[in-house]
Amino acid sequence: MYLSALGITVAVAVLAGLDRTAAGQFMVCRPIVAAPLTGWLLGDVAIGLQVGAMLELLWLGRLPVGAAIPPDDSQVAVGCTFLAVVSQAQTGLPPQAVAAASLLIGMPFGKAGQLFDRLARLANARLLNKAELALDRGRFECLERYHLQGLWHFAAASLATLTIVVGGGLLCLPIFLSYLDGPLIQAAPWIYLLFPLIGIGSMLSGLKVPRASLLFGVSFVFGLFFLALR
Amino acid sequence: MKLPRSVLLKVLSRSFLLQTSWNYEQMQSLGLVYTLTPAFRQYYSGVTLLSAYRRHLEYFNTHPYLATTVIGAVLKLEEQVQQGIDPGFTLGEFKSAMVAPCAAMGDAFFWGAVRPAAAVAALLWAFHGSLWGPVLFIVLFNLPHFWFRIQGLVKGYGGGVRVVSTLQRWHLSDWAIHLKQVLVVLLGLLAAAIGAAATKHLSVGIFWGLCVAPIALGLCTLMRRRVSSLLIIIASSLFLLGWFQLH
Repeated sequence: MYLSALGITVAVAVLAGLDRTAAGQFMVCRPIVAAPLTGWLLGDVAIGLQVGAMLELLWLGRLPVGAAIPPDDSQVAVGCTFLAVVSQAQTGLPPQAVAAASLLIGMPFGKAGQLFDRLARLANARLLNKAELALDRGRFECLERYHLQGLWHFAAASLATLTIVVGGGLLCLPIFLSYLDGPLIQAAPWIYLLFPLIGIGSMLSGLKVPRASLLFGVSFVFGLFFLALR
Repeated sequence: MKLPRSVLLKVLSRSFLLQTSWNYEQMQSLGLVYTLTPAFRQYYSGVTLLSAYRRHLEYFNTHPYLATTVIGAVLKLEEQVQQGIDPGFTLGEFKSAMVAPCAAMGDAFFWGAVRPAAAVAALLWAFHGSLWGPVLFIVLFNLPHFWFRIQGLVKGYGGGVRVVSTLQRWHLSDWAIHLKQVLVVLLGLLAAAIGAAATKHLSVGIFWGLCVAPIALGLCTLMRRRVSSLLIIIASSLFLLGWFQLH
């Protein structure tokens, strides 16, 4: 079961990793999609949805503009969903608790994704050099092949990030859960609210919108008033 | 020679792989050549095909969704040059003039506005455990995505250099500002949902949830001062775990 779950996770990780930059960009890579998809394939869509909902906003404001590489939230989402599903099966802790614990452990490892993504882009430069050389030799039929080889580089970068997230998580998560399982169960609903709240702060900090505070305040009060009446 | 619809469809499908060989040296140049190839095979062969490849294997970087606009116009210009029509500038000059504005408009519209607005709208559903959240996100995001990819190629190939005025008519920068305002409203609604859920946990009146707005704005101020969101999460989660450990 464990190996088949890992195989499914790797497949989603590669799909999400390619969708992130190299192919399609349909945004299947976003945590709100990738994590529930992983959870669904692993047989626990609720955990995936919780991981995705917690993670979605945090790095969304970091734009992939030009040469800038945002942290790899796709692999964090996929890897942490795997960790949460496996931990839940082993410990029987509530889904919210394992989702929160997996993210707290997995997210710092996800920073490695920026390094691997950069390496993939550097490896792609060699493909460009090969393509230029092929043109000089008049072998232009090679160009398409060299271009498509970039898929391997991005897939390898995704797998490397996933390995770091899952490997680091599998090492640290049991220790974390064995010492903090009691307080984690109580803190988990609050951590579940904390993640999107920090995400809102992160989004607002990056927006340059006229009258943003006024719009935010009015919609917030209106929303709360509506929920109070419901 | 006008390109058949099947070739344009191939160009469109290949545009989804524009960034496959993205690199720091020439960014999307090899992807551009890959995307243009089905059309070039109709226009050229042998040495002329080789020189066409050389012409386009140079720095190219724009927003991937608006790239089809440039690609369509480039195909039209190639066609016109073949027919002996002198556009008054080189294809390289045209691409250089187009890529930066398309990148700026696309980044502001798609990455800065459509994606976050769709994500927050989806989160409002997902937050309560509804699986419609992810579906809503994919639909909301990909409708404009596909529309601009397809319309970009159609208008670009149909209009050639006149695509510049089409781009201006789309008013993407204005739409980006309006969508960002919608995003702020959605963020307010999400904060309200968080406030309501928090007061439910504490079993207190929902109006205690008003405290959430200053917390969100305080977090926003912290992050404007370059405090890492990851650091805030780890610190506040450890505080919560410590709190419940002690109590």
